Amino acid sequence: MSAAVQETKAAAGAPLLQADGVSIQFGGLKALTDFNLSVRQGDLQGLIGPNGAGKSTAFNVLTGVYPPTQGEVRVTGQRVNGWLPHQINHLGLARTFQNIRLFRALTALDNVKVACRAQGALHPEGVGLGAKMKGAFLNYRDWWRALLLTPRFQQEERELTQQAERLLEVMGLSHRRDEEARNLPYGEQRRLEIARALGTQPKVLLLDEPAAGMNTREKADLMVLIRKLRDDFQLGVLVIEHDMKLVMGICESITVLDHGETIARGAPAQVRSDRKVIEAYLGDSYLESHGGAA
Amino acid sequence: METPAIPVPEARSVVPASLRGLLPVLLALPVLALFQWLMSDAPFASYLLSVVGVNIILAVSLNIVNGMTGQFSIGHAGFMAVGAYISGVLSLNLKDIALSFLPVAVSDQVFFVLSLLVGGLAAALCGFLVGLPSLRLRGDYLAIVTLGFGEIIRVVVQNTDAFGRALGLSGIPQTSSPAMVYFFVFLTVLVARRITGSSHGRSLWAIREDEVAAEAMGVDTTGYKVRAFVISSFFAGIAGALFAHFVPIINPGSFTFVKSMEIVVMVVLGGLGSTTGAIVAATFLTLLPEGLRSLFTVLGAEGSLAQKVDQIRMPVYGLLLVVLMLARPQGLFGTKEIWDVLPRWIPRKRRGLA
Repeated sequence: MSAAVQETKAAAGAPLLQADGVSIQFGGLKALTDFNLSVRQGDLQGLIGPNGAGKSTAFNVLTGVYPPTQGEVRVTGQRVNGWLPHQINHLGLARTFQNIRLFRALTALDNVKVACRAQGALHPEGVGLGAKMKGAFLNYRDWWRALLLTPRFQQEERELTQQAERLLEVMGLSHRRDEEARNLPYGEQRRLEIARALGTQPKVLLLDEPAAGMNTREKADLMVLIRKLRDDFQLGVLVIEHDMKLVMGICESITVLDHGETIARGAPAQVRSDRKVIEAYLGDSYLESHGGAA
Repeated sequence: METPAIPVPEARSVVPASLRGLLPVLLALPVLALFQWLMSDAPFASYLLSVVGVNIILAVSLNIVNGMTGQFSIGHAGFMAVGAYISGVLSLNLKDIALSFLPVAVSDQVFFVLSLLVGGLAAALCGFLVGLPSLRLRGDYLAIVTLGFGEIIRVVVQNTDAFGRALGLSGIPQTSSPAMVYFFVFLTVLVARRITGSSHGRSLWAIREDEVAAEAMGVDTTGYKVRAFVISSFFAGIAGALFAHFVPIINPGSFTFVKSMEIVVMVVLGGLGSTTGAIVAATFLTLLPEGLRSLFTVLGAEGSLAQKVDQIRMPVYGLLLVVLMLARPQGLFGTKEIWDVLPRWIPRKRRGLA
């Protein structure tokens, strides 16, 4: 799909990320049932639910780690069932991980540069032998450029560095530029993961528990930051979060999962008073003793 | 990993951007010529240095896969064999042909380089065919497949008349020279270094660090792994081809699993991911038996021990590895490179003075 078509679609407010009746089953376990979701540019949505509700599974299906058993996932209008994660990423979907997965031995700068480059090195991946051969040829040509240190390669490398430095600056990590990722403090590692995800020039950003392990002040900063990123980079953002305050504070729409099923969806206030949600989080006994929803 | 080895060139850099790619090669050529001149009267030293050089190529190229990319290939001798036999057979067939417009010696070298490249490309093709299915998977599959590949190559060679069966190939023109070997050593190291300093290298490191995250960040992990494997196989093929042109005879016994393990030991000893380490370890482990042999001969007491050096070599390797794992699990150099330390050390000191 050409970039021009994608632009028009985004401008028209078509969903950048869409899940239609997605189910996933591991053997006899239904991890996710009939999951629907639609993220547009400028959206800031939340995905919540008790432990084991299938939130991370939903992320994994959307990003291509698992193919859906049923239903379909669309990214910028393109059906991506069965695509590999890197291919889906190239369409404009980037994520962070619940348990931080940085390239630990690489410097902060290199972490971001890996992501920047992967997007820059895109060669059209088509079906059919001709397109495959062409892609392979272009890939090997890139290697040759690097091995021969051609001026074009040197130029590219400088641009990558600049791009990555800019992202580090946005995330307030410039002072950690040459530090190995594993040596950063926890909060900064989380921010570096976001910087890295932004390096792939996403249209939709999926954040898996970005505030986990942060203190109250860091969480407040993060809330501001996520909003700012959405506006500055014109993203659609989907956040998985345990911290109710964070989710209620920034999300405009919230989807609640329990045992793989969507039990509620809507604005924060609406979801907070939903009987099913309270039941899922606090148990029926709570409802009985307190006489129903708040 | 250190920051990328390639410095960002300033606008007032002495070397024009278009020349930076070739400059190291141009600088290396006169040094190699001098080296060749020094070696011309020392056949044994030439031979030994050539073996060291071939082992350096093997270790450095294996390090691209096992070190930088974090995969585990244990069939490098198989690719070496492919290069050795294909180029050997080619040279045998081209032996009597000479380019009439060139002096005979030059014409021989042209054919030699040609057969080297053919050997390398044949090995690279094998690398592609072996890598494509097995590198799609994560984990130990590559080890199993490469192990099998090495054995298959050995068995095929042993049963093919064109490759001389178990007797091996003899009479391959001895056109190799230490200068030629070290030219390719230089080329391999240069390639390894430039890969590390480029975005390809960073992607390989990313795969080594966390394959799932690399894939999620848009790195085509299978593609990168296959390409790294193909480059690695190519240089293994070159090493084999060089080897075939300075030893009197090549037979399947030179390319067994033991040889593969030797290369793996070199890479692990030097530090997975360090080209410098691979070079040092390859040199050390190749010269070790020779050193021991001379030592025992000088001591004189145990004449028979000197002859047994080759037999006690593998236990010594094993012992070395055990000691290494206990004392320094990341290998001698870890992932450090000599060229990352040297140039930076000087400016830092200057800054301190100012």
